Amino acid sequence: MSTPTLQPRPVPGPVPAWAFPSGTEGQVAGGPGTLRVDLPGRRLAAVRLVLDAGASREPGAKDGVATMTARTLLEGTEPGGGTALTAAFERIGASLYASADLTALRIALDVPVTRLNDALELFAAVLRGPALADSDVRRLVNERLEEIAQEDADPGTRAMRELRAVMFPGEARSSRPTGGTKESIAAIEGADVRAFYASAAPAEATAVVAGDLAGTAADQALAAALEGWTATGEALAAPDTIAPTTGPRIVVVDRPGSVQTYLSIAHGVPNRSHPDWPKLMVASHVLGGGLTSRLNSVLREEKGYTYGVRAGLLRLRHCGLFITQGAVHTEVTADAVADALTELRSVQARGISEEEHGSSVRALADRAPAEYETARAVAAELADASASGLGPEYPRRYLEAVRASTPDGVAKAYTDNIDPEKLTVIAVGDAEQIREPLEKLGYAPVTVTAKD
Amino acid sequence: MAEQPLHEHTLGNGLRVVVCEDHVVPLAAVNIWYGVGSRHERASRTGLAHLFEHLMFQGSANVAEGEHAALLESAGATFNASTSFERTNYYETVPVSHLELALWLEADRMGTLPAALTQANLDNQRDVVKNERRQRYDNQPYGTAFERLCALTFPQGHPYAHTPIGSMEDLDATTLEDCTDFFATWYAPGNAVLSIVGDVDAAKTIALVERYFGGLQLGPEQPAARNGDLGPLPGITAEAVDEDVPSPAYFAMFPLPTDGGNDIEAAELAVEILGGGSGSRLYDRMVRREQIATEIWAGVTRLAGGPSLAIVDAVGPDTEKIAAVLDEELARFAADGPDADETARATAQAERGFFEQTETVTGLANALSQNATQFGDPARVFTAPKRAAAVTADEITEMAGRWLAPGARTVLTYGGAK
Repeated sequence: MSTPTLQPRPVPGPVPAWAFPSGTEGQVAGGPGTLRVDLPGRRLAAVRLVLDAGASREPGAKDGVATMTARTLLEGTEPGGGTALTAAFERIGASLYASADLTALRIALDVPVTRLNDALELFAAVLRGPALADSDVRRLVNERLEEIAQEDADPGTRAMRELRAVMFPGEARSSRPTGGTKESIAAIEGADVRAFYASAAPAEATAVVAGDLAGTAADQALAAALEGWTATGEALAAPDTIAPTTGPRIVVVDRPGSVQTYLSIAHGVPNRSHPDWPKLMVASHVLGGGLTSRLNSVLREEKGYTYGVRAGLLRLRHCGLFITQGAVHTEVTADAVADALTELRSVQARGISEEEHGSSVRALADRAPAEYETARAVAAELADASASGLGPEYPRRYLEAVRASTPDGVAKAYTDNIDPEKLTVIAVGDAEQIREPLEKLGYAPVTVTAKD
Repeated sequence: MAEQPLHEHTLGNGLRVVVCEDHVVPLAAVNIWYGVGSRHERASRTGLAHLFEHLMFQGSANVAEGEHAALLESAGATFNASTSFERTNYYETVPVSHLELALWLEADRMGTLPAALTQANLDNQRDVVKNERRQRYDNQPYGTAFERLCALTFPQGHPYAHTPIGSMEDLDATTLEDCTDFFATWYAPGNAVLSIVGDVDAAKTIALVERYFGGLQLGPEQPAARNGDLGPLPGITAEAVDEDVPSPAYFAMFPLPTDGGNDIEAAELAVEILGGGSGSRLYDRMVRREQIATEIWAGVTRLAGGPSLAIVDAVGPDTEKIAAVLDEELARFAADGPDADETARATAQAERGFFEQTETVTGLANALSQNATQFGDPARVFTAPKRAAAVTADEITEMAGRWLAPGARTVLTYGGAK
C-alpha cells in the first residue's frame, strides 16, 4: 500500500457561544406555573408536567403508589376504556408517558407542533378526569410485580436497589425501591391510587412547553388545559429528607454463576442547590466521565477488566449520590475494586491537573448544545429544575458555574464532600468466587445478601 | 429541522460526501458508514468487524493511543461507533469550531490505522469486547435471545446467522494479521460515505473534505458480499432455552422483505399494528384483555442486504397459550387486514418516528449515510413519511399473509426461574 498524503493537524478556533434556552413564565390562577420555550426548527413539541407527588411523599406502607398512579393515568378517562386513549394520541402522532421517581410524578407529551392543540385537549382530559379504575390497577399491579422480578435479575438495577437500601436508614423512603417492593405493590388497590392522585396538588406543579412555537398560542393552550384543575384530597405528607450514611462497607449481592460482577461504589453529597454541585460534576468527569478518565484509563484501556465504568452524580431532591459503577469480569473483581479505590483516592493524593480540569469542563459545558438539541431534552431539564425547586434559570447558571470552576476548587469540593475511606461498595456477583478476594482487600467488612 | 437541500460530492479516491446545512445550533455532526459489517466476516472470525471498530480508537499514524478520545472529549464532542450486520458506523458531533479536527481524525484512521496497531492494543481491546459481550448478552436475562433467534432463522454459514458481537472462541483466535487484512480489504475511501450536518457552509465543507481525505489512496475493490437472501420461513423452528431467568417468556422472529421497496413499508406497518405499543392488537388482547402476558413488544430491524427481521416477545407464565393466541391474531390479520383507523394511526406514528430520527444533527447525519450507503440516495431519508402514508390496507394485508403467517417463524421459549 502506498503512503497516503495527509494534512497537518488543524488547530480549532474558539467554541461558538451558546446559552441554555430560556422561557417565558406564566401562572395558572390556583394551578400550575407554566413555562413556554421557543426553539426554532424543532418540529416536535414537548410538554413536561411535574407534580410534587413523587415517591418521597407517599403515605406510609404505600411504597410504589406514585408509580402505580403514573401508570394508571395512561389507561384513560373511562373505566375499561381499553386502547381508546392510546389510540387517540396515536391518531395525531402523539405519545403520552407518565412516571414517578422519588422527587416527582412526571407526565410527558410529545407531538408534532402542528397538532399540539389537539394533543393538549386530550392531555387536559386525562389530568382532570382519569378513570383510575380498580380493574386497571389490579392488572397493572400484576405487571409491576413481574417487572420487579425482571429488575432484580438485572445486575445494574439490582445494585442500585441494594445501594439505596444500605446507604439510607430504613425509615428513609430513599432506602426503599421507588417503584415499591413485591409486598407493598401487591397491597395497592384502586382506592390508594385515586387517593394519591386526588392529593397531588396542581398548585405545586409546573408545566413546560417547548418547540418551534412561533405563531402559535401554545402558552394559552397550555394554560387552558390546566385551568380549573384542582386537588380534592388532603395534602400529601412532607417529603422524606433523610440523609445517606457513610461506610466503609462492602455488600455482596449473591448472583450464583454470574460471569461478571456489577460494582456500584458510592458516597453521599449535597444536593444541586449547593455551590459544590457543579464542581463535583467536574470531579466526577475527571474520575469516570469518559474513555480517558482516570478510572477508564486503568480499568478499561490498561487492564481490560471492563467494557467501561462511569462516575457521576445521582440527583435526588434533598441530596446527591456520587456513584462509580460498571461491570467487571468475575475473576478480576477484587483487583478491579482495588484499582477503583486507588483512583477514587487520587484526588486527595495528587489533586486535579489544569489539563484534566480543562478537558472535563469543556466536555460538560461544550456538549450542552448537543445534549439539549431537542425540545424534549430542554423541556425535561427545565421541568426537573422546577421539581427540585431550582427555578428556570438553573440549567444556565449550572453551566456557568462549571465554566467558572478551577482545578483547586474542584479538588477541594471533592475532598470536602467525599471521603474515599468511607465508601459503600455493592458487588452483584457470584459470592462464592468474589467474597474471599474482597475480604482480603481489607477495605471494609464484607456482608453477603441474597439476590431476592 | 426542516428538510434542507443536500450537497453531494465524490472524491477522486471514491469517498462519497453528503453535506446538509442546518443553522439551528452551532454544531457539526460527522458520520461515516463503512460498507462492512458482520455479514462480511468469514467463518471462524465472527466478531472481527466489531473488534476492529474498537481498534479504530487506539490511534493511527499521527494520533497517539487514547488521543482520539482525549481530543474529542475535551472538545465537548459526543462520539461513538457501532457495528451491525451490514455496516460499521463512526460518528462525532462537535462544536462547529472543531469540524476540521474531526475530519482530520477520521482521515488519519481511514488512511493509516495499521501504523498504530500493536499486539498489546489488540489484546486489551479483545478483553474489553469480551467484557462487552458478557455485560450486554451473557450476564443479562434473555440476553442471548437475538443471537439464538438469528442462529435458528438462518441456515448455518449464512451471512446473517451470526450477530456482530461474535463468539468468545473466534475473538480469542483473532490475530494481528487478521486485523491488518481486514483493514486492507474493507477500510478504503471508496467503501465509505461521509455525511456532515450542521452549522456549516456546504461548499467550504466539501473543500475541507477534499483537503483532509483527498490524499488517501483509492484502495482495492471490495469483494462481493455473499448472498443474504432468505424468504418466508416454511414452518416453525423452536428451541427451549435452559437458562435461569425470572419468568417464562416467548420470543419469535419472522423474516420480512428487504429494505428498499414498497413491501417493507407495508410489512413494517403490519408489525406495528399487530404489536407496536399499548394500542396494538397483541398488547390489547394478551396484556389488557386476557392477561396471559404482562408485557409484549414487537419491532422491526430493517436490513438492506438480507431479509429485514421482525421480533415479537412476550413475558407470561404459559408460553403455549401465548403461541396459540399469536397464531390466532396472525391468522385474523392475514384474513381481514387492518381497519382504516389502525392504518392511519400507524402512519401517524411513522411520521413522528421520522421526526425523532432526523431532528438532531447527529440523527440526520446517520440517516443520510445510511441512505447513501444502502440505496445510493441520501435524500431518500426525507421520503420516509410519504412512503409510509402511501401504503394501502390491501398491501398491509398481503404482506402480513406472505411474511407473518401463523405457523411460520422461529421461536425461543424460556421456562423461567429454576
